[in-house]
Amino acid sequence: MHEAGNALAASNARRTPGAAKSPRESGGGVLEASGVSKSFGGIAALVGVDFDLKAGEVHALVGENGAGKSTLMKILAGVHVDYDGGVRLMGAPVKFAGVQDAERAGVAIIHQELDLVPELTAADNIFLGREPLIAGMIVDRRRIARAADRLLRRLGIEIDPLSRVAELRVGEQQLVEIAKALSLDARILMMDEPTSALSSSECETLFKVVRQLAAAGVAIIFTSHRIDEVVALAGRVTVLRDGRRVLTAPIQGLTRNAIISAMVGRNLVATHRETVEAKGQPVLSVRNLTLDTVGVRGWRRVLEGVSFDLRRGEILGIGGLLGSGRTEILESIFGAARGWRSGQILIDGEPAVINSPTDACRLGIALVTEDRKARGLLLASTVRDNAALPSVGALSRFGIRGFAREAALADDMVERLSVRCSDIDQIVSTLSGGNQQKVVIGKWLATEPQVLLLDEPTRGIDVGAKQEIYQLAFALASRGLGIIVVSSEMPELLLLSDRVLVMCEGRQTGVLTRAEATQEEIMRLAAPGLGQRAAGGAA
Amino acid sequence: MNLIRAPLRTLSRTKLYWGLALICLIGALLSPVTSSGANIFLSYQNLTDVLRQVSITGLVATGMTIVILLGGIDLSVGSVMGCSSVICAMLLTRPGWTPAAMMGVPAATISIALAVGFLARFVFNGLARGRDVDAGRRRVIVLGPWRGFRIPALLGLAAGAAAAAFAASQVPTKFGVLAVLLVTPCFALTLGAINGALIVEGRLQPFIATLAMMVSALGIGRLTGGQDFAVIPVYTGTNATEAFDVLRSMVWGLVPMPSIFFLLAIITFGAILRFTTFGRYVYAIGGNVEAAKLSGVKVKQVQFAAYVISCMLAGLAGVLFVAQYRQGKPDAGSGLELDAIAAVVIGGTSLMGGRGGLAGTFVGVLIFGLLSDILQLQNIDSNVQLLMKGLIIVGTVLVQEQNLGQLLSRWRGAPSALAPARAGSVEPARPLDAAKASTVREDIHEKT
Repeated sequence: MHEAGNALAASNARRTPGAAKSPRESGGGVLEASGVSKSFGGIAALVGVDFDLKAGEVHALVGENGAGKSTLMKILAGVHVDYDGGVRLMGAPVKFAGVQDAERAGVAIIHQELDLVPELTAADNIFLGREPLIAGMIVDRRRIARAADRLLRRLGIEIDPLSRVAELRVGEQQLVEIAKALSLDARILMMDEPTSALSSSECETLFKVVRQLAAAGVAIIFTSHRIDEVVALAGRVTVLRDGRRVLTAPIQGLTRNAIISAMVGRNLVATHRETVEAKGQPVLSVRNLTLDTVGVRGWRRVLEGVSFDLRRGEILGIGGLLGSGRTEILESIFGAARGWRSGQILIDGEPAVINSPTDACRLGIALVTEDRKARGLLLASTVRDNAALPSVGALSRFGIRGFAREAALADDMVERLSVRCSDIDQIVSTLSGGNQQKVVIGKWLATEPQVLLLDEPTRGIDVGAKQEIYQLAFALASRGLGIIVVSSEMPELLLLSDRVLVMCEGRQTGVLTRAEATQEEIMRLAAPGLGQRAAGGAA
Repeated sequence: MNLIRAPLRTLSRTKLYWGLALICLIGALLSPVTSSGANIFLSYQNLTDVLRQVSITGLVATGMTIVILLGGIDLSVGSVMGCSSVICAMLLTRPGWTPAAMMGVPAATISIALAVGFLARFVFNGLARGRDVDAGRRRVIVLGPWRGFRIPALLGLAAGAAAAAFAASQVPTKFGVLAVLLVTPCFALTLGAINGALIVEGRLQPFIATLAMMVSALGIGRLTGGQDFAVIPVYTGTNATEAFDVLRSMVWGLVPMPSIFFLLAIITFGAILRFTTFGRYVYAIGGNVEAAKLSGVKVKQVQFAAYVISCMLAGLAGVLFVAQYRQGKPDAGSGLELDAIAAVVIGGTSLMGGRGGLAGTFVGVLIFGLLSDILQLQNIDSNVQLLMKGLIIVGTVLVQEQNLGQLLSRWRGAPSALAPARAGSVEPARPLDAAKASTVREDIHEKT
């Protein structure tokens, strides 16, 4: 059993055959790929990609969805084992037989969906499958705890190694994954979308750990959709487009826009829209919304005294840290929140009873959930079936489905939102993330809602599709829908919103107009500690 | 390439039917012949017998398919079927307010009243919404009196009263065929409603709720039957009405009566799954409960209805059991739930829910029926039959879930050639497996 935590120091003590000289001395690549190609069922995912990684560098891999980032990473980490082209580790050609093989050679990958066992402690997770034993039979839990503690402390992570993973926040779970990879003596660490579920402060902690690792000689590859992050963290960046490498360059001298245009192959201009004068009666009013849920540690107040108005044609953004109650506001309005809810919801000035999503749908409210795969789509069904699902009842007569009307609805949606699919009978899981998201939004538009609730509408979708979603939101608002957007991405929030409501620990700490809303101001209101002050004025 | 692939894909999509054809072929080849040289397996008599024998399992499997498509499971159907057979036999053979009548009559009254009430509401809603759609309006604004609560409730009460009067009129004498066919499924349906309520409102896992009902229904059956736990014999013409024989007769000398029930159930519920919103919701919930719930689907109602339907069909199966075996006994259906689940699974319905259908279940039931028929014609020990059933289940599921291709490639030490295609596609059928499917089936049959 090797000692945990020596990973940081181990970067110079290599075990790989063929590593005659330390790559740090040579400054050469620890991991190189040349002419790597890979196709899935006749569709090329990577075409002759060259890639090199230096010791101690942080290398960002960017590109639109389907550009081949994940595929390249998975080939380098031994997840995909059949591919064309060559991979060299420390200058010696290697061909990993699988993930374990790669891990033995010091290459570890952290997937976007974390592979932790929620019911085990952080320490148990770190040593899962490699537990130190007493007398060869009994798991030495004391040693696990001590080793994990040492490892986490060396990484500067403040997590109790004996807390259950389920109780940790996503950001903390991510750090446990990193600790696990390092306990394997990983010298090359790959992270697929490590920040997609993290709040800004959690990102900062992650970045700190990453920089520290890089300084200790660990080579790191990560993918991200957030360009700001790439600029802040990476030393070099490789841009992929349609399975080909477009660019590899040091981050200095590259602007944000240069990266984006390399990704999409064209120039994209973020388009603001004129702030529309809020007009007429509010379509949705929330008064004194309070929500309590039962968690692991008993009753917990998730929302307290949230009140706001949403007018027709207005886009209201909700900002705040992860866990500040943003999603819960949307779920409470939609009747989907778990727990005890009080307060009043008015639709068009009339008090509305919303006890279930069914009620909400009937009142013309639509919710596009944060996690489209788990909660938004029937992944194994066709585009047609997904598009028609909320409308099946309305399109039927006497409970008999109107197949022709359903098909017309789906065709209409595909055309209006320009969903890229072969036909409406394509299985929805085979679409790209952006197109899946369009299907989720489209299925709701078909119900002709008055209020559209968008929870992280562009999470995990590529830059081009993001722009399309923004344009769609603007178009819908100008047609008179009231839209509420929750987003962790500050630029997105500022771009979309006419007003921004900021949440902190379940309370609303302020409502900012577009003129007032700046990144700094939102962060100030969202940071815990200020939340105890009197809540900001209601809209 | 496409020249080979397209037919292979068709072959693969229809592999279940090829399996059925294969079993028929094997049956015909291995079948003993009569002295005049006729093939016994292929004789009309034999084939209709098979259809008759599978009817009870088939009815239960029909309900089970809906529950499994929904992502649930119903373990109680065997016991409910046994319990229903006791109720049915007691109603047929004993006059007066027996325990069976005391449970059956109120159950029938309440279920009929509720069913008619909801149906009326549904129809009136449909009528009015039809008008809304024509007028180009989607959202219901005005609730007419017909769409409110009162008129459907009145209609329901009237129907309930009629049902009660009809059932009660049968009590002093013994129950007739129609009355039994009405009351027994209604009794079973009540048990299904308890299942549904426990799962939907009590948030019990389906496995646990129906397991409890499986045990309880056996107890109810034994208590109802009396202290001796014995079977209640039904001799039509002596202790029960002779008309009851109609349920075991041949219709126009062509099709056995139980099979008619089975076929009707398959067709009816097949159509419901395919053409109605209820069917759509069943698949949607099985595919992703969360997404369905957040799309405004009334998940609880659909789940409840599925468990009710499942037990109702089990009750109907109980009546057919009494007709077939001339007795009602509490443990008549022990193991039946597992047979039904096996038939559903062989038919390609995923236990995870959301994928499959009744056509598959129909074939699955027939494969089982034909298999035991072949083995019986060969005079093979019944314990071997059990073994064979097990092999068939494993074999077909291996083929369906594409596990075979993966296993084979792992043995060869090479990465699965199917893997990338599988990742990108959720289609159950893959060309390569069709060929393997038939090899597996041949292997199994060579051993017999």
